[in-house]
Amino acid sequence: MRTARWALIGAGGLVMVYAIAGALTDPDVKGGALLFLIGVLVAHDGVLLPLTIGAGALAGRLVPMPVRTLVRAALLVSLAVTVVALPLVLGRGRAVDNPSLLPLPYGRGQLETYAVIWAATGVAALVAARRRRSAGPADDSRAGRRSRQPRSHKPPSPNG
Amino acid sequence: MVRDPEPRVKTSLRAWLFQPLPPPPAALRRGPLRPGAFDSRSRSARLTSLLGIALAVAFTVCFVTGLISHFIQHPPWWFGWPSRPVGLYRVTQGVHVATGLASVPLLGAKLWSVYPRLFAWPPVRDPVHAIERAGIAALVAAALFQLISGILNIAHWYEPMPFFFTAGHYWSAWLAIGALLAHIGVKLPIVRSALRHRTPERAPAGSISRRGLLGTVGAAAGIITLATAGQTVAPLAPIAVLAPRRPGTGPQHLPVNKTAGGAGVRDAIFAPGYRLTLTGPGRTRNLALADLAALPQHTVVLPISCVEGWSSTGTWTGVRLRDLVELAGVDPEDAEAFVESLETRGRYRATTVPPPHVRDPFTLIALRLGGEPLHPDHGYPARLIAPNRPGVLQTKWVGRITVRGMQ
Repeated sequence: MRTARWALIGAGGLVMVYAIAGALTDPDVKGGALLFLIGVLVAHDGVLLPLTIGAGALAGRLVPMPVRTLVRAALLVSLAVTVVALPLVLGRGRAVDNPSLLPLPYGRGQLETYAVIWAATGVAALVAARRRRSAGPADDSRAGRRSRQPRSHKPPSPNG
Repeated sequence: MVRDPEPRVKTSLRAWLFQPLPPPPAALRRGPLRPGAFDSRSRSARLTSLLGIALAVAFTVCFVTGLISHFIQHPPWWFGWPSRPVGLYRVTQGVHVATGLASVPLLGAKLWSVYPRLFAWPPVRDPVHAIERAGIAALVAAALFQLISGILNIAHWYEPMPFFFTAGHYWSAWLAIGALLAHIGVKLPIVRSALRHRTPERAPAGSISRRGLLGTVGAAAGIITLATAGQTVAPLAPIAVLAPRRPGTGPQHLPVNKTAGGAGVRDAIFAPGYRLTLTGPGRTRNLALADLAALPQHTVVLPISCVEGWSSTGTWTGVRLRDLVELAGVDPEDAEAFVESLETRGRYRATTVPPPHVRDPFTLIALRLGGEPLHPDHGYPARLIAPNRPGVLQTKWVGRITVRGMQ
């Protein structure tokens, strides 16, 4: 394993050198690529991820316990969809003489996608609530759960 | 192991590499750097390992399919690409874009799972640790570069990218894959032990569990795929509400990337004196549109498969390229054709059709699409359409073909 590890590290290092040398000698890659490389790192680690963690913490305060996990999951899925959809929704790539490019109303598409995500979340919450009710008096502790019949279709349980 | 010829040098290098660096002043240990700043009970080596493996597979798929696309466009001497199956490139490039889009939630979750390590204290312990952290910074930056530049490219939004997309995406892919290999090498023991020993779930109530997060990432990837894959998988088009293209949408039911107006060829393509100049060794012919239409016509059903991941099938009618090669006095079984557009400039104004595609009877200089003369945006008066080739190499508004035998 030691040899394999050093082979991977060595090969990876060489490939990185090849990438940097290639980028430096390619006239189509200007300093802008380095700017973009640093920009996306700072934007993600310094802005998007802290905001996401903050939103998750806020959900912890605002959303009642039985559905908190589901809401957090739905927020994450919505965020991932938004990252893909945003450039389409903004539509900055549209061209006047080419209606076949970005032909759809993407704002509506994004809302429809949110609707599907949150409707599924609502259904999952109802199913989980019914399970809890049919399982007897509210008892969310793990010990309480384990003592009951195991179920084949476990919903995403609030405390995992 | 071979006996080290200069043990002293090695020892001193080792000593230097692992020499502890002085820790920064403790007063700087604030905000996210302070101990216990993150509630990490939902995070685990096992979660990070599982996400990492999935991401490594996804990035490998993207890298290989992307490399195929790059080599088809800039073939090195050892690379050959067949003309069949006709839809192979449609699949590899569709997979490239779909996998990249599905990687968005994967990468997001992976980076979340290791975020506290960004604020590890001390920031660097020794030179080796500093090298490893620089490598991880390169990996994260290059991975984000790949996904974000790809998303911007399929949306044709180029202002945020102050570089030529194709070149930047290509070299940062090498950076990402190199950093990924080294990262796997460094983390292999952690991954192995995390996969061997099942650690119990520790997520506090209300937090997403490990299994829950993996499910959430899978759901997000699935929804993104369903909402976009219809740009190349036609049956999914009705639900592809976030597809940058619709296979049947465009002039003559086919999307367009570059319009005749955008290419600046509107005057040239409608000029009454239009001729297709066909040059072989020692002979040149100028063919008017009527001359081309008088040659044997063939009809093929072939997709336009864009590097951006969309594709759409058309029914093309025109002259076989191999017939034109023969007309130029060259054996079509082993020839290469340089096809030039009427565009006076532009990166993709000309392309070389390699022997397998020249030979293939499906390769046409098409005059008609769906039974009608080509729409100007689809390359009127004549365009190249060949099987298993990126759309960007299917030269439109063809003005000149130069044929060369391979012997």
